[in-house]
Amino acid sequence: METIRLLLVDDEDHFRQTIAKRLAKRGLASEQAASGNECLSILDKKAMDVVVLDVKMPGMTGIEVLRNITAKYPETEVILLTGQATASDGVEGIKSGAFDYLTKPIELDHLFNKILQAYEKIRRSDAEQKEAEYRKQMEQQMIVTERLASLGTLAAGVAHEINNPLAIIRESAGWMRQLFDKDELKDMPRRKEFVKALDKVEKSVERASRITHQLLGFFGKSESALSQVNLAELAGEAIHLIAHEAQNRDIRIVRQMEPLPDTIWSDAYQIRQVLLNLLTNAVHALNSEGTITIAIEDVGDSQTITVSDTGPGIPRENLDKIFEPFFSTKSPGQGTGLGLFVSRGIVEKLGGTLEVASKIGQGARFSIRLPKHLNGTDEFHESRGKKWVEKIKSRFAE
Amino acid sequence: MIKIPTRVLLVDDEKDFVEMLGLRLEEVGENVTPAHSGQECLQVLEKKEIDVVILDILMPGMDGIATLKEIKRRFPLVEVIMLTGHGTTESAVKGLKLGAYDYLLKPAHFGELTVKLESARKRKDEQAERIRKAEVKLLLRKSGDI
Repeated sequence: METIRLLLVDDEDHFRQTIAKRLAKRGLASEQAASGNECLSILDKKAMDVVVLDVKMPGMTGIEVLRNITAKYPETEVILLTGQATASDGVEGIKSGAFDYLTKPIELDHLFNKILQAYEKIRRSDAEQKEAEYRKQMEQQMIVTERLASLGTLAAGVAHEINNPLAIIRESAGWMRQLFDKDELKDMPRRKEFVKALDKVEKSVERASRITHQLLGFFGKSESALSQVNLAELAGEAIHLIAHEAQNRDIRIVRQMEPLPDTIWSDAYQIRQVLLNLLTNAVHALNSEGTITIAIEDVGDSQTITVSDTGPGIPRENLDKIFEPFFSTKSPGQGTGLGLFVSRGIVEKLGGTLEVASKIGQGARFSIRLPKHLNGTDEFHESRGKKWVEKIKSRFAE
Repeated sequence: MIKIPTRVLLVDDEKDFVEMLGLRLEEVGENVTPAHSGQECLQVLEKKEIDVVILDILMPGMDGIATLKEIKRRFPLVEVIMLTGHGTTESAVKGLKLGAYDYLLKPAHFGELTVKLESARKRKDEQAERIRKAEVKLLLRKSGDI
C-alpha cells in the first residue's frame, strides 16, 4: 500500500491515541493534533492527504478548521467525526467540502475504509488533472502544428509566385549590366552609380531567392533518398565545410565519435544540411575564439548527434522561439530565420527529434536524435504536419 | 573565332521574362525565338529550325512536361533544357527521363544557362553529324548495290 499522509485531529487524547494505534496496526501511520490550531500549523509545514477531524473541539470548531483546510489546501480530503447529537454538523461539513462524516462511536473498519476511499479520490483527481494538462499540451501542439501546416501551404504558394517576378528582375538587371558593358555606354554620365545600384538589385535578388528556395525546399514536395548513412562521416563532411571559417575565427572543433557508430538508415543529404546549419549557427554564436564539440552516441534503437558551443548561450525567453519560422537574432540579411525551423522539420520528417539546451553564459547544446531504422516510406512521404494532426485527432476521438 | 548562333526557342508564360532573357541571349550572340505556351512552342518548331528549347515546366494549359513529350515525339533531335521551381525538382527528374537534356532552377544564373545551352547545342550537332554519316554510308551501300 502506498503511504497515505494522515492526520488525526481530536481534543480527546485517549480516543485519538487509541485510533492512531489501531490504524497503525493495519499499516496506516498517522500524525496527531489536539486542536484546530495545531492541525492548521501542521498542515502549514507538511502536506497531508487525509485529515480525520473531530467536529466538537474547544477553541476553533471542526467546521471552522474544515473551511480553513478546503480554502488553503484544496487537495487535502477531510473526514469529519461527529457526536450522535450533532450529526447535522456532518451534513453541514459535507456542504463545506468534507469528503464524508462518521458518527461517534465509530467502527474502526468504517474509518479505515473511509480513509482509503478519500485517498482513492485524491489519486483519481490527480490523474484527471494530469490528463487535463496533457490534453491541454496536446491541443496547444496541435494548434501550432496546424498553424505551421497552413503556413507551409501559404509559404510554398507565395514562394512560387514570387520566384517568377524574381526571375524577371534578375534577367532585367542582367540585361542592364550587359548594356552597361557595351562600348557605346562606356562614357555614359554617372555610369558608375548606375552599376553600383545594379549591384544592389542583383544582391537583393540573390537574398530573396535564397529565402524562397529555403521555403520551397522545406515545404515543397518531400523527396527523400534513404540509404545507409554513417553519421560520423556526415559530421566530418559538415565540419570540413566550415573548418576554414572556424579557423579564421580561432574556433576549435572537437570530435567525440569513439567508438565509431554503425551506419543507420536515413537521408544523408538532409542530415548533412541540418548538421551544417547547426555548425554554422555555433560558429556565429561564438563569433571568435571558443570550442565547438560534436559528439555521436549510440543509444539503443537510435543515435544522437550533439553540437555544443561555448558561446554566450540563448536567453530563456528565446529558447521556445528559436524553432519558429522567421525568428532570427542575426541582423537583417544575415539570417533567414528559417534554419532551425527547417532543421527541426527535416529531423522530425526523418522520425527523430531536435532539442536545445542552453543557459546564458554556458553555451548552447543542440541534440539530434535519429532512429536507426526508418519505417514505412508512405508514412515518411506524408507531410509532417498532417500526420501530427491526424494522430492527435484520433487520440481525441478515443 | 566567329560564334555560330544557337537557335533557341524560349518558352515561358511570363512574357517579361521571355523578353528580358531573350534580349540577353541575343546580346551574347544567340538567335532567340519567343513563345508563351506549349502550343505556341510546337507551332514554332513546325515552321522553324531550332537547336535548343528552353522550357518552363509550370505553365497554364499545356504544361512543360506535356510539351516536352510532344517535342521528343515529333522533333526528337531538338534538345530541351527545363526551367523548374525549387520545389518541383521531381518534374525535372521526370523530364530528364523523358529525354530532356538538362534542367535549371528558377531563377537561374545566366552563366549557367549559357554553358548548358552550348553543351546542349553541341550534343545536337554531334547527333546530327552521326545521322549524316550514317545516311552517307547507307547511300554508298545502296549505290554499291546497283
